[in-house]
Amino acid sequence: MTMVSVSSDNFQPVATDSPVKVDIRNLDFFYGDSRALKNINLGLAPNRVTAFIGPSGCGKSTLLRVLNRMYDLYPNQRAAGEVLLDGRNILDPQVDINLLRARVGMVFQKPTPFPMTIYDNISFGIKLYEKLPKSELDDRVETALKGAALWKEVKDKLGASGLSLSGGQQQRLCIARTVAIRPEVILFDEPCSALDPISTAKIEELIDELKTQYTIAIVTHNMQQAARVSDFTAFMYLGDLIEFGETSHMFTSPEKRETQDYITGRFG
Amino acid sequence: MNAIYSSRKRTNLIIRALCFGAAAFGLSFLGLILFTLFWNGLAGLGLSVFTQMTPPPGSNSGGLANALAGSLVITIIGVAIGAPLGMLAGTYLAEYGRHEKLTTVIRFINDILLSAPSIVIGLFVYVAIVLPMGGFSGFAGSLALAVIVIPVVVRTTEDMLLLVPNPLREAAAALGMPRSLVIKRVAYRAARAGLITGILLATARVAGETAPLLFTALNNQFWNLDMTGTVANLPVTINNFVQSPYEFWRQLAWTGALIITLSVLALNIVARVLGRERNTQ
Amino acid sequence: MNNRLPSDARETGAQMTDFAMQASTTREAPVADRAQALKQFALSDKTFYWLTRVSAVSVLLLLGGIIISLTVGAWPAIQHFGLSFLTTQRWAPQIEPAPILGGLGPIYGTLVSSIIAMLIAVPVGLGIAIFLTELCPAWLRRPFGIAIELLAGIPSIIYGMWGFFVLAPFLADHFQPLLIATFEGVPVLGAIFGGPPSYLSLFNASVVLAIMILPFITAISRDVFMTVPPVLKESAYGIGCTTWEVVRSVVIPYTRVGVIGGVMLALGRALGETMAVTFIIGNSFRIQDSIFAPGTTISAAIASEFAESGGLHQSALFFLGLLLFVLTFFVLACARIMLMRLERQKGT
Repeated sequence: MTMVSVSSDNFQPVATDSPVKVDIRNLDFFYGDSRALKNINLGLAPNRVTAFIGPSGCGKSTLLRVLNRMYDLYPNQRAAGEVLLDGRNILDPQVDINLLRARVGMVFQKPTPFPMTIYDNISFGIKLYEKLPKSELDDRVETALKGAALWKEVKDKLGASGLSLSGGQQQRLCIARTVAIRPEVILFDEPCSALDPISTAKIEELIDELKTQYTIAIVTHNMQQAARVSDFTAFMYLGDLIEFGETSHMFTSPEKRETQDYITGRFG
Repeated sequence: MNAIYSSRKRTNLIIRALCFGAAAFGLSFLGLILFTLFWNGLAGLGLSVFTQMTPPPGSNSGGLANALAGSLVITIIGVAIGAPLGMLAGTYLAEYGRHEKLTTVIRFINDILLSAPSIVIGLFVYVAIVLPMGGFSGFAGSLALAVIVIPVVVRTTEDMLLLVPNPLREAAAALGMPRSLVIKRVAYRAARAGLITGILLATARVAGETAPLLFTALNNQFWNLDMTGTVANLPVTINNFVQSPYEFWRQLAWTGALIITLSVLALNIVARVLGRERNTQ
Repeated sequence: MNNRLPSDARETGAQMTDFAMQASTTREAPVADRAQALKQFALSDKTFYWLTRVSAVSVLLLLGGIIISLTVGAWPAIQHFGLSFLTTQRWAPQIEPAPILGGLGPIYGTLVSSIIAMLIAVPVGLGIAIFLTELCPAWLRRPFGIAIELLAGIPSIIYGMWGFFVLAPFLADHFQPLLIATFEGVPVLGAIFGGPPSYLSLFNASVVLAIMILPFITAISRDVFMTVPPVLKESAYGIGCTTWEVVRSVVIPYTRVGVIGGVMLALGRALGETMAVTFIIGNSFRIQDSIFAPGTTISAAIASEFAESGGLHQSALFFLGLLLFVLTFFVLACARIMLMRLERQKGT
């Protein structure tokens, strides 16, 4: 029923040259017996930022964790339906999840630098898949750090522990680490919730730049953030996708009562 | 009201006094043990203890060189066998099998083995190794110690890996890292201080173990580091010398006891300092 | 109908497939390379998994191995003596060709020495733990706690030696005569604390055992006491309770299961302890009324006789070892179950 309303005629069409990078079809998700996602259908457009908003427990993080099959790490978690990445269903048990995760990177709520040097934090993931001469590896690390707008701050202390950086720097290090292995899609799971406003602004800027090269999905509980960084917004509530559309449209004239209530702060 | 209150206060005072008494009593005994140990042990501590072999019966000169070397080798081999096995097992419990029923069973059994009587471990190794190999050997002694090391390391490894935050594992997995690499390169590294602490504590635990060596490594009056034969070792030497009629041997026993205690204390303290570093990080 | 984005991609379907194919060809190369790279990890990945799993299961095998080898060693004695082993006191391995061996003496000694040790160590250990958690000035708490933990790590042979050279003479010369004189003529107690004083006795061994497990009991009960949420204690102090009332009505009820578990863990240690008692227990298999008389424990009997034993004698020692293992297994299992219950309570 939610499906129908969104596709009604006042739904704004988007840029016509955008195909779907990630296509989610009839997706259900279960923690044991409890159903956390209910028949989700939506697509992520390439080189666009799609934001997922909704009150906590609505399933937005769960949905993100389906896209790189992070839930595989835990027993009793199960997805049903289809998630097509470039037309291939990634929920297929035949799919190599490590390869999948190299294509679909993820940045977490809290910065998670590995307990090693800044340089190793980046080179680690690269070396996993590619045997590169030192100079080329150095280049890749530099490119990744530049891509995450961190190069200037750390270029003189690449040998320092990743844990010695500030929270915001750590988060950018994690972004650099993700970018370094050249994924196609990057998932951000509330990437700024542990950061101060200045660091947050930097990350948001960064996301804006990254979308020229990657397909981006971001989960956020901060509606202003969704409004600032995203092209499309999905509003979820209790495991249902309530409304999905262009961000500008969603925040000015939401279709659904629940969306309107949430955006105006009446609950959540 | 006042009567009730003063009786409550009196009870409280008495109990407090008893607790202070208990603390004083316990500490003074333990202090006394350390004092006697240092007093008697230091009296015999000299260079000859480290350079000369254990004395033959009746002799008034000699040291503990062979016993010290033997103990060192037996302990190191024991830890070298037990620690990796324990680490791998602990890794399974904390990483792969965290949600399995098997893990609960293994953890329970491991906790029991943790406090199993060490003399029984000696009997086990006697049947399993000494008899089939046709005689007492330093290697059998090492294996007996390894059996004691394993549960200690399993426990600490599991505990330390469980302290590694899950998001760190997820972050590693999100790069497309295979599970074994997530564990080896990220989880181990994050828990490194704790893992080393566990191995040091296990070493300290077996360094002074006597009972399991009594009928595995036995003892040897001479210098021998060939692990297939009987090997001199400090605990069994002390055990033999304590009950000997010779004053000089008893003196050596005290000195040996002091050396063991100091090494065990040193291992414990290093482990503790390492553990604290982890906490402050 | 569908709300998948972009809505009009369906209209430009042809264009989309074009783009998708393009995308997939440009991505094809790295994906193939990566697959290649990952393949080399696949084997080591599997190997590592199985290595850890086999190691984990080997913990169970260890337990099985211990039980089997003890049983194998004990089998001749089990067959020869049967259950009467448990009720026979006589221990005469020198009789040829059929020695008479009964385990009652060491079993009795093991139980009695552990009970006496617990009677001494539990109240004192709990007292020190209460001191540490409730009474001790904050600056002393840490060094005191560390000292206790370090003492718990000292090898038991050190305690045994100290008992042999220092404590046993002191007890025999000063403490035992006092008790003997006090209880002389009193029925039952007069026999239990009967003379003559002795260096080598069940009582002396028990006292050494008590001192050895003291740091252990203290460390565990302190840890258990610390699981009490501070709010709980603060609210009791807040209504004007004295320290003792807080301990008695909040700390102990809250941690009772854990304290019992910790005490049983210590009992498990005491039952199986060898080196702390061997030197001064006297190694006598005869059960005597007086606790000042020599006795033996299972572990002391094995430690002092095993190396020179053979045949049925050795098998009987294995039988004793098996009994000890079964006994400690049950005590330790109960202890663990209780400590696990405390942990679960803490979790909720």
